Amino acid sequence: MSYFTAASLDEALNVLREAKGKALIIAGATDLFLKGMPSQAVDIASLPELGMIVEEQDYLSVGAAVTHAAAASSPLIMVKAAALAEACAAVGSPQVRNLGTIGGNLVNAAPAADAAVALAALGAKAVLCDIDGRRRVEELGNLYAGYNQSRIDSSREIVLNLIFKTCQFNEGSAFARFASRRALSLPMVNVAARVGLENGVFAEVRLVAAPVKPAPTRLFKTEEALLGKEPNEETRQMVEELASAEVKVRGSLLRCSADYRRHLIGVLAGRVLMAAVRRVQDKEES
Amino acid sequence: MDIGKITFLLNDEPVTIYADPAESLLHLLRDQLGCMSPKEGCGRGECGACTVILDGKAVNSCLVPAGKAAGKNIRTIEGISDGKSVHPLQRAFVEKGAVQCGFCTSGMIMSAYALLAENPAPRQEEVKRAISGNLCRCSGYKQIEEAIMTAAEEMNENRVRFVEKEQKE
Ligand SMILES: Cc1cc2nc3c(=O)[nH]c(=O)nc-3n(C[C@H](O)[C@H](O)[C@H](O)COP(=O)(O)OP(=O)(O)OC[C@H]3O[C@@H](n4cnc5c(N)ncnc54)[C@H](O)[C@@H]3O)c2cc1C
Ligand code: FES
Ligand code: FES
Repeated sequence: MSYFTAASLDEALNVLREAKGKALIIAGATDLFLKGMPSQAVDIASLPELGMIVEEQDYLSVGAAVTHAAAASSPLIMVKAAALAEACAAVGSPQVRNLGTIGGNLVNAAPAADAAVALAALGAKAVLCDIDGRRRVEELGNLYAGYNQSRIDSSREIVLNLIFKTCQFNEGSAFARFASRRALSLPMVNVAARVGLENGVFAEVRLVAAPVKPAPTRLFKTEEALLGKEPNEETRQMVEELASAEVKVRGSLLRCSADYRRHLIGVLAGRVLMAAVRRVQDKEES
Repeated sequence: MDIGKITFLLNDEPVTIYADPAESLLHLLRDQLGCMSPKEGCGRGECGACTVILDGKAVNSCLVPAGKAAGKNIRTIEGISDGKSVHPLQRAFVEKGAVQCGFCTSGMIMSAYALLAENPAPRQEEVKRAISGNLCRCSGYKQIEEAIMTAAEEMNENRVRFVEKEQKE
């Protein structure tokens, strides 16, 4: 095989173009290496333009090659998009977090990929660039072709960065997962929320759970039921019931039954919602 | 299999080898460079026995394609002592009984080494987290955590002594 470490985005795109579909983008390699290396690899892990975390006005841009470790310890992400920091901190192990990237997490398209679930709750969009230099911006939900299958063709397209609105003064986000142990185990369930409060009641809610469908799944009914409600114990219990009733999930012989998964989604939905609310209240108090 | 020329720094020494870039860094180190401290436990990122430090970060060498190592700075346990005496981490592991069969030990120590480079005075929780990607089948983690805390203290005392000495001179 041939291995090419790109020094710039243009160089990476050129190599992809000349390889005519035979070369594949590689970032941290934590997914690709075990699946099998392509005959030509174009390594984009150290491209500076893909490794940046920048705030521009009310938006945060996170480069596709930002590692989970970098995202989890970024003060900007911790303060303005706590759900993403929590999700990245939960991935694998320190060693995997030092290699694995946010872009790779998304394109690998595992149904309960931690970073992807948090990004979906934050309302992130992906910025892509193809070999002809054409850029487009896509909703995360549009990037899934099926279970573990991305619509992104990494032989002719590169994810550059993820952009989303930062959490404002009245907004908060949170992420939680349940797995058999804390390190090195894939989640049975992961849930993330982003909330906005106005006059003490929910004015905006995005609640995302996985694995439910191939892509991280918004729980629209539960979200809607929350609008106008006060965040309190009663609301939390309501969310628990609504969220587990809303999802149709599959069980897995290895990890957990469908009933258990549904139960967990309810419990975690209640928890992340209240954790996100607490983040807003903390800002108001300080 | 295509063979390519790969150059990197291994424990501060430049090495150049000819290898398949799709080979794992772990196999490269063990089979071609005779660097036997990284161990192959699972070969899939789940046990940490193969942990090495790549540009300052602990990584699973079984997941790193050789091609990625090119131009990088790689440190294994062979490169953490000064060649005269063992590193405080190594000494603490022996003294605290943190080694039984030893299969996990070099990986554990490399994870600890990366932690102490970034955070010289870690809390117990931070030590636990730093070695959460390293499995030990024998010794239990208590002695390992103790060894890392002890080494951190010793290294900090050495630093203080060094500064005091400098100030006197
Ligand atoms: C031991 C272990 C534990 C793990 N635990 C977890 C976990 O707890 N949670 C979790 O979510 N994941 C986990 N993973 C999966 C994996 O680490 C993550 O999905 C990681 O984020 C993948 O990123 P990468 O950079 O390593 O991807 P790579 O392997 O480099 O790439 C994955 C895919 O994405 C494509 N790609 C990568 N970057 C781009 C880009 N910028 N543009 C276009 N295509 C791109 C590649 O072509 C490839 O098809 C684990 C993996 C291992 C080995
Ligand atoms: S051999 Fe690399 S993590 Fe187990
Ligand atoms: S000492 Fe035997 S595996 Fe840790």
